[in-house]
Amino acid sequence: MLPVIVKLLLRRALLAVPLVLAVVTITFFFIRLAPGDPAAIMAGDAPTPEFLAQIRSEYGFDRPVWAQFLTFLGKAVTGDFGTSLYTKQPVFSVILERFPATVLMTGTAMIVASLIGILVGVASAKRAGSRLDTLISAASLVGYSVPGFWVGQLLILLFAVSLNWLPVGGMEAARASYRGWRHIQDVAWHMVLPVATLSVFLLTMIARFTRAAMIDALDQDYVLVAEAKGASRARILWHHAFRNASVTTITVIGLEFGAVLAGAVVVEIVFSWPGLGRLFYDAIYRRDFPLLTGAFMFSSFIVIAVNMASDVACTLLDPRIRR
Amino acid sequence: MKDGIIVKPAPFAGRPGWGMRLFSGLAASRRLSASGVLGVAFVVIVGAGTLFAPLFTPFDPLALGADTLQAPGWAHPFGTDDLGRDVLARVLYGGRVSLSVGLFSAVLSVVLGMTIGMVAGFFGGALDEALMRITEAFQILPKLLVAVVVVSLIGSGLTNEILVIGLLSWPATARVIRGRVQVIRHEEFIAAAEMSGASWVRVLARHVTPNVLSFLLVSAALQVASAIMAESFLSFLGLGDPAHPSWGLLLQQGQLFLQQAWWLTTFPGIALAMTILGLNLMGDGVAGGRAGAARR
Repeated sequence: MLPVIVKLLLRRALLAVPLVLAVVTITFFFIRLAPGDPAAIMAGDAPTPEFLAQIRSEYGFDRPVWAQFLTFLGKAVTGDFGTSLYTKQPVFSVILERFPATVLMTGTAMIVASLIGILVGVASAKRAGSRLDTLISAASLVGYSVPGFWVGQLLILLFAVSLNWLPVGGMEAARASYRGWRHIQDVAWHMVLPVATLSVFLLTMIARFTRAAMIDALDQDYVLVAEAKGASRARILWHHAFRNASVTTITVIGLEFGAVLAGAVVVEIVFSWPGLGRLFYDAIYRRDFPLLTGAFMFSSFIVIAVNMASDVACTLLDPRIRR
Repeated sequence: MKDGIIVKPAPFAGRPGWGMRLFSGLAASRRLSASGVLGVAFVVIVGAGTLFAPLFTPFDPLALGADTLQAPGWAHPFGTDDLGRDVLARVLYGGRVSLSVGLFSAVLSVVLGMTIGMVAGFFGGALDEALMRITEAFQILPKLLVAVVVVSLIGSGLTNEILVIGLLSWPATARVIRGRVQVIRHEEFIAAAEMSGASWVRVLARHVTPNVLSFLLVSAALQVASAIMAESFLSFLGLGDPAHPSWGLLLQQGQLFLQQAWWLTTFPGIALAMTILGLNLMGDGVAGGRAGAARR
C-alpha cells in the first residue's frame, strides 16, 4: 500500500509545481505590468529615495527580467514575501499571525457545511422527485445565488441589531478578558454568525452535487445486489451508495475551496473577524502591495495544497481512479 | 416529417436559419420550465428598472441632498444615504454598472471558453490534453483572489474589471462546450462536410457552432450571474469605480452604517440577489437542472 501512496503523492506534487509557478508568475507579471516603476509599487506612495534604492537592490530591478523573476520566485517559494509597507514587519510573519483566526472560522464552516450538505444531499436523493427534494433544490439554488457578504449583513441586521441575541462582530468581547473555558465560549459565541454565513455557499454546492452523485450511485447494480442480499436500508445508503458518491463530494469541496477562501475574505470584513480577510482589505486600502501579493500567494498555495489533498483522498477512496 | 416541427435538423435538408434551429432545439428537448419563467421575470424586472431608471425616480444617483440617512418614506422609497443621496436612484443606476460589467465580461469569457472548448473537443489528442490541463489549472486558482490582486495592481476601473473577470471565467464554458463537441464530432454530418472538402474553420463555424448554441446560451446566463457576483466582490473590497457606483459598492458603503441604516444594505442586496437568482433560474430552466455541471 505504501508505495502506491508515495507514487500518488509524487504525481500530485508534479501537478502542484506548475500551479505554484503560475501563481508566482502571475504576481510577478502584474507587478511588472502595473503602470510605473515596480520598485515604486513595492515601496508605496511616498517612499524615501533610500528605501527605493533598497528595494531595487533587494529585488534586483536593475538586472535582466529573467534574473529578477528567479529572485522573486526563490523568495516567494521560501516564504519571503518582503516587508509590509505599513507595519514594517516581514509579510510572512504578519500573515502567520492572522492565519489561525481564518483557519478557525473557515475550518469550522467547512465541517458544518460538509455534515449538513451531505445529509441534505443524501436525504433528497433518497426521495428524488418528492416535494422535499424540490424544496431542497429550490433552497440550494437560492443559497448559491445570494452573495455571502450580503447574507452576513442581513444576519447582523436580524440577530445582532434587531434581536440583540448575538454579537455584531469581532472574535471576542472587547471589554472582558476571559480565560480558559469562558474564553472558548466567548469565541464560539462570536463565531456563530460568520460561520453560518460562510457555510451557506459550500453547503448548497455540496448538497447539489452529493444529490446528483447519490442518484447515480443508487441506480448501480451493486445497490441491487446489496438489496437482494438483504442489506438494511441504512447500510445500502451509506456503505454502498455514499461510499461511491463521496468521491464527488470531496472533489467539490476541493474545487470550491478557492471560492470558500475568497468568501471568507468578505465575511471577515463584514464581521470584523481578525483573520487574513481583514489583512487583504487593509492591504488594498493602504496600497500595501508586498502585503497584498504575499497574502495572495500564501492563500493560493493553501488552495493548491487542499486541492491536491482532495485528489489524493479521492484516489484512496476509489481504487478505480488509480491506474 | 415534411413540414412538421423539425425535431433534429436533418444533415442534408435545407438549412433552417439559426433562430429556427435554436427555437426548435429549445422546444424539442429543453423546454423552459416554470422556474425558468420565474427567472426570466426576475431578470426582466431588474433589467427594465435599470434601463428605464429615469421613469422610476426623479433623483440623480450622485446628487447630494440635505436629508441624510432618512429611512424609507414617501419622498425617498428606499431612503437616503449618509450624503443625502436617494438610495432608489443609486440602486437603479447602480444596476446599469453591475449589469454592464456582468454582460461584457460574460461575452468575453463565453467567446474565449467556446473557442478553447471547440478546439479541444474537435481536435482531441495532445492539443486537447494540453488545453484541458490549462483549464484545470485555471479552475483550481482562486479566481476572485487573483482578480483582487490584479485589479489592485493595474488599477480599478470598469474596463479593467471587465477584462480581469472575463479572462478568469472561461473554464466553465470551455468544459461544457468541449464535452458537447466530443459528442457531435462523430456525427455523420461532420464527416460529410469534411469529405466534401470543407476546412476545419468552416466545419467548426457552420456545422458545430449551431449545434452547441443552446449550451452556449445556458453558459452565457450562468456566466453573467457569476460575473455580476465577482464584480460585487471586487467593489465590496473597495476595488470598484467610485464614479460609477455598482451594487457591490453600495453594499460596501452600507456596511459602514449597518447598525444605523438597514436600508443601505437591504435594497441593493435584494436587487443583486434577484438578478443572480433570476439568471441562474434561467440557466437551470433551459438546461433542465444541469446547471451544476455547466457551472464548473
